[in-house]
Amino acid sequence: MRLVRAAFDEIYALLAQMVSSLFRHGLPLTDKIAARTALTNFVLHIHPVRVRRSWIRMSYTLCLGGLSFFLFIVLTVTGLYLMFYYVPSTGHAFQDMRDLQFVITFGGVVRNMHRWAAHLMVITVWLHMARVFLTGSYKKPREFNWAIGTTLLLITLLLSFTGYLLPWDQLSIWAVTVGTNMARYAPIAGPFTRYLLLGGTVVGDNALLRFYVLHVVGLPLFGFLLMVVHFWRVRKDGFSGGL
Amino acid sequence: MAANFKRLMADSREMSRRSFFAMVGWGAFTVASLAALWESLNFMNLPRTALYEEPAAFKAGPPGDYGVGSTTVLTDKRVVINRDPDGFYAISLICTHLGCTPRYFNDVTSDLVAKGISGIKDPDTGLAATPANPALVGFKCPCHGSRYFRDAVNFFGPAPRPMDRIHVEVAPDGKLFVDRSVIVDRHFRLKV
Repeated sequence: MRLVRAAFDEIYALLAQMVSSLFRHGLPLTDKIAARTALTNFVLHIHPVRVRRSWIRMSYTLCLGGLSFFLFIVLTVTGLYLMFYYVPSTGHAFQDMRDLQFVITFGGVVRNMHRWAAHLMVITVWLHMARVFLTGSYKKPREFNWAIGTTLLLITLLLSFTGYLLPWDQLSIWAVTVGTNMARYAPIAGPFTRYLLLGGTVVGDNALLRFYVLHVVGLPLFGFLLMVVHFWRVRKDGFSGGL
Repeated sequence: MAANFKRLMADSREMSRRSFFAMVGWGAFTVASLAALWESLNFMNLPRTALYEEPAAFKAGPPGDYGVGSTTVLTDKRVVINRDPDGFYAISLICTHLGCTPRYFNDVTSDLVAKGISGIKDPDTGLAATPANPALVGFKCPCHGSRYFRDAVNFFGPAPRPMDRIHVEVAPDGKLFVDRSVIVDRHFRLKV
């Protein structure tokens, strides 16, 4: 009996250690404990230790940056699902897209989530930029973050453009024909840029593969790195919602 | 580093061994980075010999298949072969605006004439769309609405110039041989 009790004690101690290693500060019953929790917790560290009520007034930011990031996460997750079926080759792409829509369980839901979130993200990022402009939040000391933000806007648009080709239907092919021909009109580097983008002279297998790689790895990775810096700078440059 | 460089310019003995090596190190790093960037561009710039695209030149049947005055659209090749009384000529069916494929229509002008637009005239052939004779054959681009006469001359929409005329000849086996990579003068005619 004693032995059993000792074993239980051991197990209890082990569990208690596991819990206390996860939740180091207990319940945030006082401001001090809450502050220490926010400071030392990875998930909470994105949040300031102290938040004034005026900083988080919805009517000031309209949460547009947060919505953009939320949509980015939705796009990443749904995009991951789509990648299990989509093959970026001219022989497969269109059929895979159709299979996703009509054959695969919930494929249509996932594809449509990806599609609508993409449209919405372009809208929210534009609105976010408009809000930052209208509240004058691009001014010193936030100029650098404004520059990062405009790059993120560009990446959002490029993600939209590269994703446009992937269904490989008539709309995709001619939209990208038009888009890359617009790139060709750029002075000096124009024709070379088009050749690099397409990996050739026509919108074919190479172009599809290049757009796919940019769409699923290159641009999201670059965008994610910039987002990390963007959020960090938001924290470091401080809030002025109460003005 | 810039300060080091300035001091070095003033008096070379001012520079410590440590900052000299720092300069050499950063210099080498910069050169290596630029070289890597340049070679990355070269990596993406695949050689033309590694393109598996359709060849620019192809054969398009014997000349006898084409009636005098006919217009033949080879959609997959994006080429038009016209046969006029004075000979053959081929058009690269790529819109000069942003590269879509214009479509052939029996009438590309009468809706414009009906709107009261006048002066629709092909400078090369002299053909004009008038209220008396409003319908001319030609091409319309589905992307942004550029329009061309049958002989590839643009007359409406954003297209900045006529579509390219391309080389056509009779191959030794008697078939027409079209080379899309060779752009020829708009007056080019192949007499058979």
